[in-house]
Amino acid sequence: MKILIAEDDPVSRRLLEKNISEWGYDGAVAGNGDEALATLRGGDIRLAILDWMMPGINGIEICRFVRQDGGPKYVYIIMLTSRDRRQDIVEGLEAGADDYMAKPVNLLELRARIQTGRRVVELEDKLLESNRKLKDLASRDNLTSLWNRANAFLFLEEDLARGRRESHPVSAIMIDIDNFKRINDAYGHLAGDVALIEIAKRLERGVRPYDKVGRYGGDEMLIVLPGCGLEDAAAIGERLRKSISRTKVRTPAGDVEVTVTLGCSSSELAPDATAETLVQASDAALYKGKSLGRNRVVAGA
Amino acid sequence: MERLPIDVADALARVGDDRDFLKELMDIYTADLATRIAGLREALARGDLKAVEQLGHAIKGSSANLSLPLLRDRASAIEIAGKNGSAPKAQANLQGLEKEFQRLREHLRENPL
Repeated sequence: MKILIAEDDPVSRRLLEKNISEWGYDGAVAGNGDEALATLRGGDIRLAILDWMMPGINGIEICRFVRQDGGPKYVYIIMLTSRDRRQDIVEGLEAGADDYMAKPVNLLELRARIQTGRRVVELEDKLLESNRKLKDLASRDNLTSLWNRANAFLFLEEDLARGRRESHPVSAIMIDIDNFKRINDAYGHLAGDVALIEIAKRLERGVRPYDKVGRYGGDEMLIVLPGCGLEDAAAIGERLRKSISRTKVRTPAGDVEVTVTLGCSSSELAPDATAETLVQASDAALYKGKSLGRNRVVAGA
Repeated sequence: MERLPIDVADALARVGDDRDFLKELMDIYTADLATRIAGLREALARGDLKAVEQLGHAIKGSSANLSLPLLRDRASAIEIAGKNGSAPKAQANLQGLEKEFQRLREHLRENPL
């Protein structure tokens, strides 16, 4: 855990710095309020020990700025004050300090208070992490771990908006497994699931890191390709098609030959395209591909 | 008996009996105090008693950290004089502070840490 020591007195600053490093923390120092605020805004500080009185911005003001900024991670703040008047303590806590200590600082007490701060920071991290996991879980398809339909659609909307701002096209590919019902009927639903999972993997491996692959329906998948025109989308689609048809899918019921049909569309030729119209255009191209005999890529408008 | 400028045992206890570290802190302190004394002189010359109070306060704190009771007392007197707007008292105590600072340096020369 990285700790900031903001203290204008060089003796106290060095004393705190040395002890904090001996207690196993990573210490950063600032000799005035402006330096302290800049370091805090730089990111990785999780606990700050702020002297109340400093040249430039004082400890209380730093507290207010940090709480207003409300950065991505919580910073636990301990104020140091040589004034122990009750109204100062109240002012400090109201400005957003978590704790305060009177100067001269008792090092054993400071160590214990830092441990308290560390517990709070770690709890906060755990909470954020589990929130992130839950959110991720809610955004993914259970079976394939691809993005779910709602999120795939959301990504398409976001990428289209960004594409309009930055003047680059966005393409969408709709993919459907050919005769999926027949696979399920011939090999069983378990084999069908295994095939879906394997195809999802091959699709994810075959796209660029910033493309998004979602499960759109039962055996339908949607890929969002930002910065990609229709021709590039069709080329990516063809690569994906080959990666699936080339190698049979190994399932507990035996090796299954799987092919897919892909329909591509792009905002390149339709500047007013919305997520809905692109999905519709890809769908139309996909059905054209089905009627032409499957296992192929069709580029629509 | 005259009080010593530094209570070495107390200072060592504050730094976990690390004599080298105490030396390092003392070097930081003396360099810093020289700067602050110059700052006090300037503040008094321009009649900025608010700055006098703040400098006195700062010196009081670092002196206490290193168990320097006589310097701490002088700094405290300067802080109070600044707060009360009394330039003559601040001036007198600044001279006292400089004298104590001189005594500390002589003491450390004769009794190195």
